[in-house]
Amino acid sequence: MSDGVIPGGLSLAVPSKGRLEEMTRKAFSTARLSISRPGGARSYIGSIKDLPQVTVRFYPAAEIARELILGGVDMGVTGTDLIHEASENGEENVLFVRGLGFGEADVVVAVPDSWIDVQQMSDLADVASDFRARHGRWLRVATKYVNLTRRHFAKHGIAEYRIVESAGATEAAPAAGSADLIVDITSSGSTLQANQLRVLEDGLIMRSEANLIVSRTADWTPLRKAQLEALLAKMGGVPPGISTLL
Amino acid sequence: MKSASERYAALVRLVESRTVTRSQPPLLLPAGPYFDLAGEEFGRNLLLTTTNNGVEYCLRPDFTLPIAQDYIEEGMLGTPAAFTYLGPIFRQERSTPVEFEQAGLELLGHEDSDQALDQVLTFARWALAIYDITAPNVRLGGVGLFEAFLEAADVPPAWRSRIRHRFGHPEAMERLMERLANPEERTTAPAPDSRDTVIEIVTDAMLSGGLSLIGSRTPEEIADRYLEKQALDAAPVPAETVALLQNYLSIADVADSAFDRIAALCADAGFDFSEPLFKVRNHAAQLQALSPNAEVIFDASFSPRLDYYTGIVFEMTGSDGAILASGGEYDRMLERLGSPEPVNASGCSLWVDRMAREAGDE
Repeated sequence: MSDGVIPGGLSLAVPSKGRLEEMTRKAFSTARLSISRPGGARSYIGSIKDLPQVTVRFYPAAEIARELILGGVDMGVTGTDLIHEASENGEENVLFVRGLGFGEADVVVAVPDSWIDVQQMSDLADVASDFRARHGRWLRVATKYVNLTRRHFAKHGIAEYRIVESAGATEAAPAAGSADLIVDITSSGSTLQANQLRVLEDGLIMRSEANLIVSRTADWTPLRKAQLEALLAKMGGVPPGISTLL
Repeated sequence: MKSASERYAALVRLVESRTVTRSQPPLLLPAGPYFDLAGEEFGRNLLLTTTNNGVEYCLRPDFTLPIAQDYIEEGMLGTPAAFTYLGPIFRQERSTPVEFEQAGLELLGHEDSDQALDQVLTFARWALAIYDITAPNVRLGGVGLFEAFLEAADVPPAWRSRIRHRFGHPEAMERLMERLANPEERTTAPAPDSRDTVIEIVTDAMLSGGLSLIGSRTPEEIADRYLEKQALDAAPVPAETVALLQNYLSIADVADSAFDRIAALCADAGFDFSEPLFKVRNHAAQLQALSPNAEVIFDASFSPRLDYYTGIVFEMTGSDGAILASGGEYDRMLERLGSPEPVNASGCSLWVDRMAREAGDE
């Protein structure tokens, strides 16, 4: 246990910035659990009023997913997509307690609108199969969702492609010539449209939403389980007994 | 009863026998060629490490690729060669790193490919015998046989490549078969556009999307595939051909019966398929002769998911279903690695730890 953590207490990871942080804190304060961050945006530790046993840790959303999977924090708020992306079997190591009604986004496969012959993943499989023979290189998919892409493509029998990892502005990759198509997150579809990209008919890889998530790999003593139940009861919207699944 | 170390010593003698060259590629290899050859699906299993300038290396995930690459680089194309190997390989499985001991044989550039394959099967058989495994479950598959079948069954060529491409992937194949069996009701009449018009439309769309016309799929390529799709929709594969394909793919039986069933299926459909079957029958018989106690199954839909396999493929499994040996013919592999033409190649890999477990050494 590191400094400032009450032995037997719980750690809760909260997104450290932006709309996700704002909405998470709002969701907790609606349940009369107001999260305070004494040092402001520069501090990475906070607390919940009246719940001294809970330590709040502020992390980037992707890191929260990794920590939950590895058991570095007991619970946290992050996108379902990030849990699925963080590790090939990430979802087995966590428990999705409930969606929080924000951060909704779809992870999708999108191709240039001008690919009028490609409507479905099966079309993409055909294109991928002889792409190398035609162009002397693999079909390239730009994405930051490496694991999700591999799984989805494998499910559709597509093996002949390469992933180009993209840190940001994935939607610009086809026009920039660094990839042929993309796998990216979209909420309204307007960014894709603006870049003249089209989601395949069966190109929805997953629907994602900010979730309250509990780590299965954390060290769950009976005391800590009881503390978790108490916190979840305060949050509401969760049937009692979640901790028996841990 | 042999001890674990005696068995291992016997395995070393096998891979160092006089007629073969034992190859020892480095443990750390550039990752690029693996991705190039096998794509993302295999790539996800690599244990990667990156240099400061961003070049990716991997811990040796298999021996076949570096051996084949060396063969080309050493200027041995056209020369028959026999390489063996024995040593650790590294993969990740479900995000956990795993080290395996692997042994194997690669026969490259042998003129008589049937004989080469029989040698590979014999090698696998001997290796298993060292571990007292005399009755493995053997599964044979025919990649070449399926390609020949598609041709003989008169499947339209444009569909042939689509079907061939899904061979070895049961789910994708099943989806395609369903699509073929229930052709979609067309909601719109085919556009009566000429090829030139379609190319023009695609070109306009590409330019307005800011896409280069030459860097990726070209307007011609997209237009052609679009028109081909329309033509295919207009002329679906006949229902009896789809049924024939489905029947063929569902055959998995003791080798001789499986071949008889395929022959009967083809005879019913009105064509003679005995010649393509002949070669597979011979290898199955050879395998059966090598291990009279083994059950040799021919599974018509069995194929590794790598498109460089060409002829016959096999795997041998132990009592718990774990794969002990696998391999086959992969004539397209050296071409993919830069050889100007296909080179006869066959080989097998043996999972030493699993053989040892099967023998009760651990």
